[in-house]
Amino acid sequence: MNDEELVIEARDLTKVFRDFWGRPKVRAVNGINLDVRRGEIFGLLGPNGSGKSTTIKMILGLLHPTSGQLSVLGQSPRAVSVKSRMGFMPEESYLYKYLTADEILNFYANLYGMSGCHKTERVNTLIEQMGLSKARDRRVGEFSKGMARRIGLAQALLNDPDLILLDEPTSGLDPIACREVKDLLLALARQGKTILICSHHLSDMQDICSRVAILLQGEVCATGSVQELLATPDTLKLTLKAPSQTTLTEVLDLLERETGTRPQVDHTGRTLESVYIETVSQRKSAT
Amino acid sequence: MSHHPGKSLTRIAALAGLTVRDAVRSRLLISLGAILIIGLIGLPLLISGDNTLTGRLQVILNYTLSFAVTMLSIVTLWTACGGVSSEIQDRRLYLILTKPVHRHELWLGKWLGIVALNALLLTLTGFIIGVMTWHTLFTSPESETVKRQAREQFLLARQSRLPESPISAQQAQASAAAIVKSGHAPAGMDAEQVATELMKELKSARFVIAPTGSIHFTTLITSPLSGNNDGLLNYKIESSRPERTSIPALWEIQAAEGKVFHLAVTNYPGIPNRLLIPGSVIQGSQSLTLSYHRLDNLSQATLFMAQNGKEPELLIPSGSWAMNLNRGLLMILCRLAFLSALGLTAGCLLSTPVAVFVAFFMMVLLAMSGYVESVATSGAFYIPHEGPALSRTWLDEVILSQFKGLNMLTQPLLRLDPVPLLEEGRRISWLLTAQAVAWFVGLYTAVTALIGIILFNRRELG
Repeated sequence: MNDEELVIEARDLTKVFRDFWGRPKVRAVNGINLDVRRGEIFGLLGPNGSGKSTTIKMILGLLHPTSGQLSVLGQSPRAVSVKSRMGFMPEESYLYKYLTADEILNFYANLYGMSGCHKTERVNTLIEQMGLSKARDRRVGEFSKGMARRIGLAQALLNDPDLILLDEPTSGLDPIACREVKDLLLALARQGKTILICSHHLSDMQDICSRVAILLQGEVCATGSVQELLATPDTLKLTLKAPSQTTLTEVLDLLERETGTRPQVDHTGRTLESVYIETVSQRKSAT
Repeated sequence: MSHHPGKSLTRIAALAGLTVRDAVRSRLLISLGAILIIGLIGLPLLISGDNTLTGRLQVILNYTLSFAVTMLSIVTLWTACGGVSSEIQDRRLYLILTKPVHRHELWLGKWLGIVALNALLLTLTGFIIGVMTWHTLFTSPESETVKRQAREQFLLARQSRLPESPISAQQAQASAAAIVKSGHAPAGMDAEQVATELMKELKSARFVIAPTGSIHFTTLITSPLSGNNDGLLNYKIESSRPERTSIPALWEIQAAEGKVFHLAVTNYPGIPNRLLIPGSVIQGSQSLTLSYHRLDNLSQATLFMAQNGKEPELLIPSGSWAMNLNRGLLMILCRLAFLSALGLTAGCLLSTPVAVFVAFFMMVLLAMSGYVESVATSGAFYIPHEGPALSRTWLDEVILSQFKGLNMLTQPLLRLDPVPLLEEGRRISWLLTAQAVAWFVGLYTAVTALIGIILFNRRELG
């Protein structure tokens, strides 16, 4: 599998929901084309009802396309064998609340056909990686939303999947946990995993996605790399160590003469997220 | 990966285990267990019967088993319907179906889980009935003789032996063919119907007893009794006159080996009678000749002992009650396995309330199998009409044909129902148990599962 290989390939993909009598009711996805390549983090953006969830469900094989072509890891998404190479974390925690974290992961590991030491090792690794070691014997129904998201992510990674589909992966997580999840996803992408994320948290998507597609009313309105989409034509942003006032004035004058407008100068701002993480981390290490 | 049989079994076992764990953790199992215990122990206390030891044992065996079967049937359908449809509604199933799980594995896992729960609850039922029966028998204040008689009556499984037929089926068919050929057969009756009527008439004619008259018949005992347990003789007499006067009579039961047993009785028309025949008479015998002598010479009524084809029936001890109960519970488990399949299939295709409605409608239809059979065989929807036959409309014909079709499906349910057999202390053979497994699990469940899995495979989960 090379980096240019398409992991998800949709051509003119359409999904029409019908009523009881078989008459067309809603055209949820309308002829979209989508290419997701190996090793990239692809973001699916769009307002509610734009067709994101329907697209994800077709990729998962839960819904069948009305027309068009859809290939996942080179196979039809309805093929059960392709699911052994996929991991999915839904938006809501659709987990069995009466099971403990340990039992949940063991149950899903059994569904992947895992057994013996391999299963035990994988479950232990993921529980530790998600920071749930102290809560492994607690029932999922007693978990906070953040903990439930983490166990949800753990079950999606059980089979070491090639393709990971995540619906709102950072929803309900505190900023530190959110950063950890984002770092984990970036690390997985570096390992060659393909990640498809569906989210409303645009700043998170901007942080980690290599490419995005924006859906509206079942159609792709814009698609491309995040850098391409964010770039403003004929505008540059320079980041440099502050020079002396004299030098700065000379440079600004020179640029004003060249472009006809005086460049805007500002201090490089830190994000609220970086301030929060730094503060909490310092306090934690002090105690 | 997903086609590996070992991994497939792991997935099915995981799904079955999840179903059981769900019932345990959601306290469904413990609630059902508590209701079963309260019902099984409470019912005999509420229904006192005639307050004799026999009466109390009758209540335990008759009511508790029917209560447990009814309750488990309802709970099974409810659990099975919700097992899939409620998980589709709260979307927990989505996560399972994004794993390499075939839908037939999901169906089978859920079904096995529900069957395992039923097996647990039926074991509890059997245990409670066993303990209550033994407790009632051994702590009863009645005399040892009464207790021994009760043990003889209740703690044995008995095989039914009917009188030897005066005419073989082949002879009846040959005679019927001759009657039809000669043109003396009633209008509209074919040779098969004539043969059936002929057999019925001949059997009835054998059991007509004139005043001071006697009847004699022979019963074969194919598997001779090994122990010294008593046999039972069930019979009922009907009178040609409306007066219900008592009839004094004498039973004479003679074994082929020369052993004879006499018992004077007083019978009332329309009342079922049950006689204990000493094991010493039956033991080692290949056949018994039974004679009934009317001792009255005052009543002019003619008596009939095989009214409506119900002949006197000899019940020969044939195995322990505990094993019989176990076989009966296994047959009940097979029925519940079929109900689980019915509920799961409905739940795979429909939303929870609709699935529950459809599954319960099917259960009511199955419960009406006795009525379905009577309509299918008699052709009458209500009370059989006496007098000239009424003409049927096309609608009657359509409905009747549907009843006949349904009767073909529900016949095994009637024939393989262990509850009346257990209530009457009749032996449930291993053959009958195997038939229940074959019909309910091998055929009914398999067909229901096939339909459910095919349609579930086509279903989208949006």
